[in-house]
Amino acid sequence: MNQQIYISKKLRVAGILVILGLVVEGFSLLWNHPLSFLAFLCIGGVFLALGIVIYLLALVSRAQE
Amino acid sequence: MPTAFLLICVAVTIILITVVIVAPGITASRGGKILAFLVLFILPVTMSVFGATEHMERSKQTSFCLSCHVMQPYGKSLYVDDPSYLPAAHFQNARIPRDHACYTCHTNYTIYGTLHDKLRGLKHAYKYYIGTPANPIKLYEPFNNRECLHCHLGARSFEQGAVHNADPETMPAIKSNKLSCMSSGCHDTVHNVSELDKVKYWKP
Repeated sequence: MNQQIYISKKLRVAGILVILGLVVEGFSLLWNHPLSFLAFLCIGGVFLALGIVIYLLALVSRAQE
Repeated sequence: MPTAFLLICVAVTIILITVVIVAPGITASRGGKILAFLVLFILPVTMSVFGATEHMERSKQTSFCLSCHVMQPYGKSLYVDDPSYLPAAHFQNARIPRDHACYTCHTNYTIYGTLHDKLRGLKHAYKYYIGTPANPIKLYEPFNNRECLHCHLGARSFEQGAVHNADPETMPAIKSNKLSCMSSGCHDTVHNVSELDKVKYWKP
């Protein structure tokens, strides 16, 4: 049960970060400018990577008892 | 991949992630686990790869390069009404794609040339927005004949050109980059941005 709560919490955090990353990446595609490329890479990419790492860690880690 | 389709995929992924956030309990079932893996890993990575590809393609456009004001004189030089201006002659006579004019001549035609150029592009963006761009702008290394020969090698005008074959050493020296195409007396008028206020311009 504790593990399910732990994973649910991590999934929420990961999901929010991935959504933020996708939103930034999506908006960056609407603008053809070097700054949009940087936003895609440095903001969207970082949010997305963080979200994915948190999700993958949640899959492999055990709940703290 | 068209941008609109990519944006639709991003929107669908966001909706599916929202479902997982709102009801994380669904991940207790096998189907929920698969859904979570799909929307929190597979789809975002796929979207990012396609998004990065789209950005890479856009960064080859002439308008992309000229969106930085330090590059605008170089863009202006493409319209100089003088065939001795090498980039202008190529641009105006459609010897290079006009919408990829900068990239066509300034990419590095080697195996990782595009990636190498994009990494340099990040450095340019850093210098432009945070540091101080060089004035005047200089190439990292002398222009390599390889970039010219990417198109001209095998062309009759190049292979049988009188000056290129003036003596037996000239052609091998050009092909091995020992003699630059832009040597003095050859194709030595390039962007020449310091002279742009003294020239006439072509109006397409």
